[in-house]
Amino acid sequence: MIELKDVTKIYEVNKNESVRALSEINLKIKEGELVILKGSSGSGKSTILSLIAALSKPTSGEVLVDTKKISKLPDNFSSEYRRDNIGFVFQKYNLIPNLSVKENILLPLVPLNLDAQSMHQMSESVMQRFHIEHKQDVLVRNLSGGEQQRAAIARANINNPKIILADEPTANLDEKLSLHFIEMLRELKASNKTIVIATHDPLFFGLDFVDREIQVHNGSLVL
Amino acid sequence: MKNKTWLQGALNIYLIEYALSAILRQKYKNFFILSIFTFLTFLLASVFFITNSIKYELASTLEALPQIIVQKIKAGRQDDIDVSALDEILSIAGVSDAVARVWGYYYFQNAGVNFTLMGVDEYENQYKNSLEKIVQKFDFNNEENIPSMIVGQGVKENMLRNYYKQYFNFIKSDGTLKKVNIAGVFDGDTQLESNDMIVMSKDEVREIFDIQQTKATDIIVKVANPEEINTIASKIRLMYPECRVITNQDLQVSYQNIFDYKSGIFLALFIVCLFTFFMIVYDKASGLSSEEKREIGILKAIGWRVDDVLKEKFYESFILSFFAYVLGIGFAFAFVYIFQAPLLRNIFIGYSELKTSFELPFVFDTQTLFLVFFLSVPIYVAATILPSWKVATLEADEVIR
Repeated sequence: MIELKDVTKIYEVNKNESVRALSEINLKIKEGELVILKGSSGSGKSTILSLIAALSKPTSGEVLVDTKKISKLPDNFSSEYRRDNIGFVFQKYNLIPNLSVKENILLPLVPLNLDAQSMHQMSESVMQRFHIEHKQDVLVRNLSGGEQQRAAIARANINNPKIILADEPTANLDEKLSLHFIEMLRELKASNKTIVIATHDPLFFGLDFVDREIQVHNGSLVL
Repeated sequence: MKNKTWLQGALNIYLIEYALSAILRQKYKNFFILSIFTFLTFLLASVFFITNSIKYELASTLEALPQIIVQKIKAGRQDDIDVSALDEILSIAGVSDAVARVWGYYYFQNAGVNFTLMGVDEYENQYKNSLEKIVQKFDFNNEENIPSMIVGQGVKENMLRNYYKQYFNFIKSDGTLKKVNIAGVFDGDTQLESNDMIVMSKDEVREIFDIQQTKATDIIVKVANPEEINTIASKIRLMYPECRVITNQDLQVSYQNIFDYKSGIFLALFIVCLFTFFMIVYDKASGLSSEEKREIGILKAIGWRVDDVLKEKFYESFILSFFAYVLGIGFAFAFVYIFQAPLLRNIFIGYSELKTSFELPFVFDTQTLFLVFFLSVPIYVAATILPSWKVATLEADEVIR
């Protein structure tokens, strides 16, 4: 279970200027739940994902995952936490453009120093699942937006995480590809993963397999 | 998963693969760094290799120097010494041998170099082993009664360039010519010492330089106990106040002064090299490009620890700098020992008017290799890792944003 307790996040722009991204929010997400965080740009949706992924720490309050205080973890432990628990699909995918699809997908496993056979099996499995195996040797910079997104989803799933976070996953896609992503989301939900999507794309609203939609406005949750 | 060996566990081959691909991804930039790094390593190593060769030559030369040389000084310039002084010097307790040398510098105008003409007498003890071997091996007065000589390799080459294959005509002090056959070429104990040397009988040298039978150029004194060299030198000074008495220690100082002066020029060159290298290192250490920062942010975001990032950066910088180091050392070896360091050696061997050219001997010195390594590779690695560490310890979210 994911729990945010009285979480406030303030970004320091410079010495004299700061931005309050979240104000004392409280949120609980159950295991296997699919939650849509919706709201306009700058409302604080991405910050919530970032805190759950331990990519940043809250200014005050706590973030707990399975009762573990991940907001207090030292840097190396938060990296391990991400590696073992989180699959993150970034808005701009954050793939390394001069690496091939397969190399990008395997990146999270590189520090684990697994044997070659395991690495191969894991990458083949995840590429087939997200229909990108035919592009495995193509450099990411030569892929279309939809293919880049599938590569990003495959990378997010290579370590079989229990939590999937996606930040504006359809922002750079046309409607057809967005619908295709929603189908992949349905499959992921079926495999009992906890999924949190931050989006303002109306295609995600009112989906039958979505458990909750939460409105975020000016750094607060509208309940 | 299969069990791994210790090496497989310690060395993450995927990190190394990633480091290699990172180098290739920025191939133009890294090729530029590799070229500069290789050139600087090459320059640095070449300087050290030449220094080592010269040092080796000098050390060998200094070892072969006479323990004491007695020269007669007349009106402030060196004059021929009476051979009769030999007996008095030999009577000094502690002197094991004394030899009157007949020799001089002969200016070979065609090549613009000085040769050293050394006279030997087959019935005398020679003051050093290399001359002893020559005397035993060659007959200076052959059956045709034409005088002959043995020449150093450098002399031979100079003479050949001027079409003297069989003989050479020396110009005597009265202006007449003296024909001397070239009987052979010798390799002395060291090339620096023997390259410009011509050995012939004492009588021929006397005739060319017009030295009387009762006179010699100088007297070489051998001392049984090296600790007593200075004491015996003092005694000779007292006996012959008009003479200059030079010990091998005095000669060592003057030889080393010449060398130290030359190495001063190289020190300046060396400083320029280091300055350029540190400019690159400073540039590297002063920060990463936005692309490099973003990549570190992505790696952190997908679960890489700070030490994973630093290990990858270590491999990346080590592979690049070590490859450049090996290339630089390889080029320096070829440049110095195969091509004999064209251009650079002239700075070192500036006294070539006195000494004809010689080959730089191969000296393998692991200390030099380590010194060049530690002056280059770890500095570059540190300059790469430091800014990466700064970025890797920031919050991943902050770096990606």
